[in-house]
Amino acid sequence: MARDWQRFLLGLLGCLMTAQAAATGADAYLAVIQPLVRERCVSCHGALQQKAGLRLDTVAAMLRGGDSGPVVVPGNARSSILLRRVTTEDVADRMPPQHEGLPLDATQAEALRRWITAGASAPANEQPDPDPRDHWAFRPPARRAVPATVGAFGVIDALLEADRSAHGLRTRPEARRDVLVRRLYLDLVGLPPAADEWSAAMSDAAPDWYERLVDRLLSDPRHGERWARHWMDIWRYSDAWGLGDQLRNSQKHIHHWRDWIVESLNADVPYDEMIRLMLAADEMHPEDPGRLRATGYLARNYFLFNRNQWLDEAVEHVSKGFLGLTLNCAKCHDHKYDPFPQADYYRMRAFFEPYHVRVDVRPGEPDLARDGLPRAYDRDLDRPTFRFVRGNEGAPDTNKVILPGVPPLLARTPPSIQRVVLPARAHQPERNPWVLEAHVAAARERETKAGELLASETSADPLRRAVAQRRVDVARAEMESVVARAAAMRASWRDRDSGTTSPEAEVARVAAVKAERRLAAARAQLFVAEAEQRLAVAEASKKESVGKELESARKKAEEALDRCEAVVEANAQPALLPGAAWTPTRFLDSTKDDPDPGFPRESTGRRTALARWIASPDNPLTARVAVNHVWGRHFGVPLVPTVFDFGRKGIPPANQPLLDALAVEFMEQRWSLRHLHRVIVLSAAYRMESSVAGADVEMSRDPENRHLWRRVPLRMEAQGVRDSLLAHAGRIEAVMGGPVVPSDAQATSRRRSLYFQHSNNERNAFLATFDDATVKECYRRDTSIVPQQALALLNSRVVHDAVPDIARRIATRSGVEDDRRFVREAFVALLGFEPGAREMEASLQAMAAWRNASTSIGATANANADAASQRAREGLAWSLVNHTDFVTIR
Amino acid sequence: MNARHPARATGLPSRRTFLADLGMGFTGLAMGAALARDGVARASAPGWTPPDGRPHFRPRAKSVIWLFMNGGVSHMESFDPKPMLNVHAGKTIAQTPFAHVQDPKRLAIERLVVPDANGNQRNTLYPLQVGYRRHGKAGIEVSDWFPHIGQQADRIAFVRSLWTTDSNHGAQTQFHSGRHQNDGDFPTLGAWVHYGLGSLNENLPQFISIGTREYWNKRDGHYLGPAHDAVPLRIDPANPLDFGRHEGTWSAEERRAGLDLARTLNGLRGVEYPEDPAIAARLASYDLAYRMQMSVPDVVDFSRESAETKALYGVDVPHCREMGRQLLAARRFVERGVRFIQIQHGGGGAGAWDAHSGLKSNHESLARAVDQPIGALLVDLERRGLLDETLVVFATEFGRTPGSQGSDGRDHHIFGFSVWMAGGGIRGGVVHGATDEIGFHAAEDRHYVTDIHATILHQLGLDSRRLEIPGRKRLEIDHGQPIQPILA
Repeated sequence: MARDWQRFLLGLLGCLMTAQAAATGADAYLAVIQPLVRERCVSCHGALQQKAGLRLDTVAAMLRGGDSGPVVVPGNARSSILLRRVTTEDVADRMPPQHEGLPLDATQAEALRRWITAGASAPANEQPDPDPRDHWAFRPPARRAVPATVGAFGVIDALLEADRSAHGLRTRPEARRDVLVRRLYLDLVGLPPAADEWSAAMSDAAPDWYERLVDRLLSDPRHGERWARHWMDIWRYSDAWGLGDQLRNSQKHIHHWRDWIVESLNADVPYDEMIRLMLAADEMHPEDPGRLRATGYLARNYFLFNRNQWLDEAVEHVSKGFLGLTLNCAKCHDHKYDPFPQADYYRMRAFFEPYHVRVDVRPGEPDLARDGLPRAYDRDLDRPTFRFVRGNEGAPDTNKVILPGVPPLLARTPPSIQRVVLPARAHQPERNPWVLEAHVAAARERETKAGELLASETSADPLRRAVAQRRVDVARAEMESVVARAAAMRASWRDRDSGTTSPEAEVARVAAVKAERRLAAARAQLFVAEAEQRLAVAEASKKESVGKELESARKKAEEALDRCEAVVEANAQPALLPGAAWTPTRFLDSTKDDPDPGFPRESTGRRTALARWIASPDNPLTARVAVNHVWGRHFGVPLVPTVFDFGRKGIPPANQPLLDALAVEFMEQRWSLRHLHRVIVLSAAYRMESSVAGADVEMSRDPENRHLWRRVPLRMEAQGVRDSLLAHAGRIEAVMGGPVVPSDAQATSRRRSLYFQHSNNERNAFLATFDDATVKECYRRDTSIVPQQALALLNSRVVHDAVPDIARRIATRSGVEDDRRFVREAFVALLGFEPGAREMEASLQAMAAWRNASTSIGATANANADAASQRAREGLAWSLVNHTDFVTIR
Repeated sequence: MNARHPARATGLPSRRTFLADLGMGFTGLAMGAALARDGVARASAPGWTPPDGRPHFRPRAKSVIWLFMNGGVSHMESFDPKPMLNVHAGKTIAQTPFAHVQDPKRLAIERLVVPDANGNQRNTLYPLQVGYRRHGKAGIEVSDWFPHIGQQADRIAFVRSLWTTDSNHGAQTQFHSGRHQNDGDFPTLGAWVHYGLGSLNENLPQFISIGTREYWNKRDGHYLGPAHDAVPLRIDPANPLDFGRHEGTWSAEERRAGLDLARTLNGLRGVEYPEDPAIAARLASYDLAYRMQMSVPDVVDFSRESAETKALYGVDVPHCREMGRQLLAARRFVERGVRFIQIQHGGGGAGAWDAHSGLKSNHESLARAVDQPIGALLVDLERRGLLDETLVVFATEFGRTPGSQGSDGRDHHIFGFSVWMAGGGIRGGVVHGATDEIGFHAAEDRHYVTDIHATILHQLGLDSRRLEIPGRKRLEIDHGQPIQPILA
């Protein structure tokens, strides 16, 4: 008893002492004051900035004080400037300043007062915030020495093993071959292995079967389609969207950019080169339409109405996507966590200030509504950039023009910007040889079509025949006019390029103007013929008004014919056949297009400079960010969890040497993504099994797998789920690239899902259910498990269209004679593993039930038995589609 | 580390999380889903825990019915009548004693997205296009286009002093997320509620969207994740939910066999991979899907509602049939335990209420479409004892200009407009805040749109600050302040 009492009293005393300490002492500082000061004060008074010469990140610094002396006087709250400044009623004097942070509430102020009064105790060895320049991600990555024997492919495992053994963790063994084969196919090409691919991989007796399979899949064109979708998430691929028919966001025909991504990955275009092309192909390769497609990355940001929104997105996502920086946080004020003043945001914006979007004519199609190449170009070469006071676009600080630049902390030498003089074909796109050819070919085609229409005109009505004939006349005149204009354009270029004035050019000019007049006359005569036809069939009451129309048409036709005879004036010019069109904006007035100043002969070179700085081995961030994205998609969990924030507020990698080694390896191997994939998937880490049976010690020591001692199973991405269904059904079309599959054609489409129309407004409901990317921002996909997914796999048309073919294809595999063999093959094909005894039993039972259900309805014996068997197989296929492993990569 | 969610860094919930999720149904799954959110490594943020689905303090309301009129309802011709407009009709504002309302400093809150003729100053005062009368014990003025709502005035708190900043219809998104379009995309109120609170009924989705949503942003979750997007729902017992209707050729019995087999096989897989929480989560999701498929059609099937109730909502009256059916369904959802029902009224262009011209006929017919059903909803909730725990909100993205646009319209107006709330611990029969005499500026007790959010969250027992996510810093204005004077 006595001892109990003693313990109780001691305990009580302990509690009291703790409570007392928590209220006022060093513990109180750590529990209340330090977090409060860090949240409200240290972004301006700490390692990042020392406004008024003051730091508040340690008690020592508070005692040392700033320009106005110590801000904390231990034991004397009344004399402590800190307390006064955070509690004053005078808003102008109060800290944190208005708009910059929430004032302290009464409880917080009281805690601060009590802590000071009690002596402002500090914890032992309090360390100041580290210098932001020393932040890990702002220092260049270095390859830490690993035993020379491990070689490039052993680096990952050596570095992971060092980490694991330090934590007493043993790795999981390599997964079985069936698991590995399915994993590699779904990860590298995004589709399950076909029957022959499966048996080839499973029966390959060579010791290097895995390496060879990896190489085969990495050079499979489907690999580009699979990984393009990953990069499209990060780079915010979006098809055009707007309101009704009005284009407001992104661009028509932006799929050319998607095709460029797919092709570039398949060609293993180095990642640094891909960045340079996306940001500045128009300056670096102005005459190369293939590479110009890359600038779809910038064209995608187009927004009809508002330049600030457009450029904000450019700045935010160039920073997050390539650099892992949240520069967007510095739009309204200095960055609170990273060493980027507000001006850095606008310096970044200045790189993009001149650019606009246009659509270039592509070979064979002069009509930009039907096809064209959306691309970036610099239009407003001298438009100034201003800082917006507190980020308010209505309050630009016009006293100071902000010049393009990057955070000095991250650039040993500031990027040098040189203007680019563009070749004629860039600013006069009509000079591209395919442009005039396309116009002429289209005009010829229209002429042919008109002729065919006339030939197929069966009516004996002379008026109707006259209209058809006039249409042919128009088409011919149009063709002649296009040919004449093309000739005049070519002749004028020859003159301009040689600095002469040739008689040929003059003749061509006159001919072209005349041809246009003849076209006008032909059109006018068509109107006459149409009016004559209308008059003939008009009701009595309309005769008079139609008669007037005819009269007016005849008059105009006469005038047009007279025009053909008139002398061509010296200043008359034929209309140019266009080679590109600026995508008009409506920044000034939503009801009409802004004025178009035409295509400049120069480009500022700003984006080239930016691209070179980003895509440089000297940039400490670029390779790390990319490697982290790739790693995260192979393993499901990135090394840096905050994939778009490598700044001080982000979460550092659990294994930085590994991230750095991969980044260095990536850069040294000419930024080859294929090499990076290879290094990763050949590692033992990638090949581990995801089952944790028998790993109780590891599960208890590191349940979160922070030290990568096992693999985690992954939920397949939306595209993978649908593509797998189609692939198993043998319904997937191998055709690559091209225009999007519009929403209304998706239900029956056999294209891979990455070709589906995908914008803010248009999304495929099946894909959306499985966490498809959102186009505004998707640096990492969700992997939810929600009932709507179950409904989609149980009920949707895409599943039920596929299931009969899936069942048929498995049934025709060799050796499938009975249900038992069917079940086995279906498990292997759809899930990647062989059924156990209980799985077999349950499956056979269900098949029998389906067979009975369908025979009991039926009529004749044999045909009915076949149908019932197919039905039972479909039932099993459908159930396996709803098996957890169907959507899981183990 | 966090004991409740130990396996966050792996992107997959651990067994313990999973078992907890099983018990928590939809919300649990949604949270399990949220584990691997975009760049938010929740595990590693010290001191942070995800919501446990319980309110932070004692809630006054369980559910929200959020009625949103697309396009912008004229506050003056609905819940903030201004007789002074009739007095000065035809004069320019500058010619009236109220010239000061056009002080450029006071107009500077406007932030443009679209440089258009919308939301411009409309100088010539336009008289009220409808009469108004006083309703209820407090004698609150409501226009004659809304007689049924007027009759419920004693149950309603009218807030006449809202303001916003986007003078175009991006204000629709702004009203739901609290952020101007130029700032980017942010979670909407319904998504926050869904994220913060557990489920009331495991058989039903907890965040439902009904009606037309064509102009404003079509998603809700944004950085909270698509699992927090509203589930779109149609008032059609045959096909209420996406993928709710079987598109194969299987009989119910055959389907049952397939479902049973899948369940058995998934269970066996769970034995093989005991630490793969996705297996059990998926099993649970199939159970939920099954129950949802069974329950939802029943909720939107009104055959067992009395004739009197149906007549009350006007479900058989052509002009208010659509809204009547939606609101009757809303009551049935609330009754069965759905957290947040978002009903958008009025499609076409930027929203049906967008009366740039022909305001009188536009508002008159739209009001006829919504007034009776909304009045009925309040009556019906009250008599079933549900109004106390159900917060009904009537909102729109902005008001309309006191001056005329063209000969007979009103333009967008962000400087002052009205919203009302009823039930869920809101005081009835009160008017809070006021615009000036011509309805131009919110003059007394001004409230930005997030004060409405804060009020609703407060009634649901949530503190928005405690829902914040690491790496997604919210601003003071995002949180707003509860409108205390209207709380019962």
